[in-house]
Amino acid sequence: MIELWQIYVTGAAALAIVGVYCVASRRNMIRTVIGIEIITAAINLNFIAFGSRTGQVDSLAQSIVFTSIVIGASIAAVALSIVINAYRHYGTLDLRKLSRLRW
Amino acid sequence: MEIPIVLQPILVLLATAGIMPIIAALARAAKAEKARDVVAIAAFAASMYSLVQLYQKIMADGAQRYVFATFGPDRGGVEIYADMYGVYFGMIFCGIGLMVAIYSFRYMEVDTGLDRYYALLLILVAGLIGVAFSGDFFNLFVFWEMMCISSYTLVTFRKYRWEPVEAGFKYLVMSTLGSLLALYGMSMLYGMAGNLNFAALRTFMVAEGAKANPFMLYFIMGTIIAGFGVTAAMVPLHTWLPDAHPAAPSSISAMLSGVVIKAGIYSMSRGLFAIFNPSVFDYGTVLMIFGVVTITVANIMALMQRDVKRLLAYSSIVNIGYILTGLGIGGYALVHYSAAAPEAAMSVAIFAIGGALFHTFNHAIGKGLLFLCSGCFVHEAGTRDIAELEGIGKKMIFSGTSFTIGLLALAGIPPLSGFWSKLFIILAGFSIPDDGFLKLISIIMVVNSVFAASYYLWLLQRIMLKTPKSTIERVREAPFTMVLPVVLLAIACVVVGVFPGPIIRVATEATKVLLGGW
Repeated sequence: MIELWQIYVTGAAALAIVGVYCVASRRNMIRTVIGIEIITAAINLNFIAFGSRTGQVDSLAQSIVFTSIVIGASIAAVALSIVINAYRHYGTLDLRKLSRLRW
Repeated sequence: MEIPIVLQPILVLLATAGIMPIIAALARAAKAEKARDVVAIAAFAASMYSLVQLYQKIMADGAQRYVFATFGPDRGGVEIYADMYGVYFGMIFCGIGLMVAIYSFRYMEVDTGLDRYYALLLILVAGLIGVAFSGDFFNLFVFWEMMCISSYTLVTFRKYRWEPVEAGFKYLVMSTLGSLLALYGMSMLYGMAGNLNFAALRTFMVAEGAKANPFMLYFIMGTIIAGFGVTAAMVPLHTWLPDAHPAAPSSISAMLSGVVIKAGIYSMSRGLFAIFNPSVFDYGTVLMIFGVVTITVANIMALMQRDVKRLLAYSSIVNIGYILTGLGIGGYALVHYSAAAPEAAMSVAIFAIGGALFHTFNHAIGKGLLFLCSGCFVHEAGTRDIAELEGIGKKMIFSGTSFTIGLLALAGIPPLSGFWSKLFIILAGFSIPDDGFLKLISIIMVVNSVFAASYYLWLLQRIMLKTPKSTIERVREAPFTMVLPVVLLAIACVVVGVFPGPIIRVATEATKVLLGGW
């Protein structure tokens, strides 16, 4: 018998894969940031799904998800501010153009 | 209300960071802009003082903890927990932070927005100490992200140039993906045990670990190694580091290379050794293999560099490889030999991991010294190209001499600090005579040490012994407050090399805490 939380955990894994694909394949810097946010959402969903397993709400899962949302927002803010600065220097959001650094 | 002693080092830094804009505004009004720098340095000194107090208290009474709130009975909670292992790393983090703050007094004066710079530096060190003082994964993650976000902004601090922006974006994406991977592992761990507290997870693994799905357990260990391995710059996850370190201001390069990558090592070792029994789960071999691959690849890459800071960045990756290998040898000895000879396996593990912790300290002071020195050179000469910097050591006698000491220490020349820790790690590898695999790993390490010493000496010869070019004819010694931390760190390298005893004792104590009870 498949329980509801198992469906959510599977969904979270699928969402994480979508996010990783988005980061890996998109060439637009803003889409990279969106990909990171999708992965954050997937992990939050994972926590909530595991937290509701006993049928009750677990305060640990709730509090870590709240904190994680705030942290995700700050990362997005920093990332987008870097994107703005990159746009000022390069005049484009294409990641392939940002390859002046050697390996 | 008295503030608990474990909170003091973190709160001092955070509170100073919070009031930094007010201090800066007041200082500007009083026409004494440098006051904010002095306040930041004082905050680091106060934090260091309370860390030393905490260290003495831990020596006397054992681990200290402070619980903010719990998630129900027997669940643990938001817990600040400081034991020897944490306070050892915390003192390294705060000590390098103090040196960098003193250095920034003159080095950063050409930049604007310094109130934000100091606030971010204080938050960075507060986050680092917080990571070292976490009693659960929840806390660790929050402090970890605090540290990461402030280091992204510090790398891109000179945003008017293209290089920091590009390197910063690369760093942000890679490091965030790494921390999210670790967080995914934490969520799996939470789903399995219903808890994130280290002590509770450890009890759970002892009681239920054998029944749990081994694939899932190894998946979690993999996420911890790979997730924190991005920040620790483990090959093949290192590619952000050689871009971010040179692009950042030199003071921040010293911070990143000296301590931020060590936070990755700390979290990885704490997450693995504190929860998963090293004599049951075989993560030691994985760490060891990644370690020697890291050493070898980074050594080859370092040879090809023309930029002095980039060369030093690759050398940081090499040293992370040594630390990882030391941790790995400890785990390997425990997992393969604790059934046959538990006492002997434990002593090898303590030797190897103690050596890795000692190397963490040595690399923090050595590489902090080298990046601050290269900052002095770059500040005075205006270039990072090794060919342009030839012979600059003759012009800048204090920085040059300290640079020499730092390079020799990291090359592992006997009376200096780096020699002892490398010797410990390599000797631990040879201490089990009839294990061919361990011997192979140690031989690779020895070959790499010799190889690394050759390019350190090559760099030394070019910086110190060549005739200066006409372009750097007018170079003078850097200002006093920039030379002071450099000279202090150089003295530390020599003193620790000549009298390694006290630090080795602390590192061994810390190792025993890490491996305690297994």
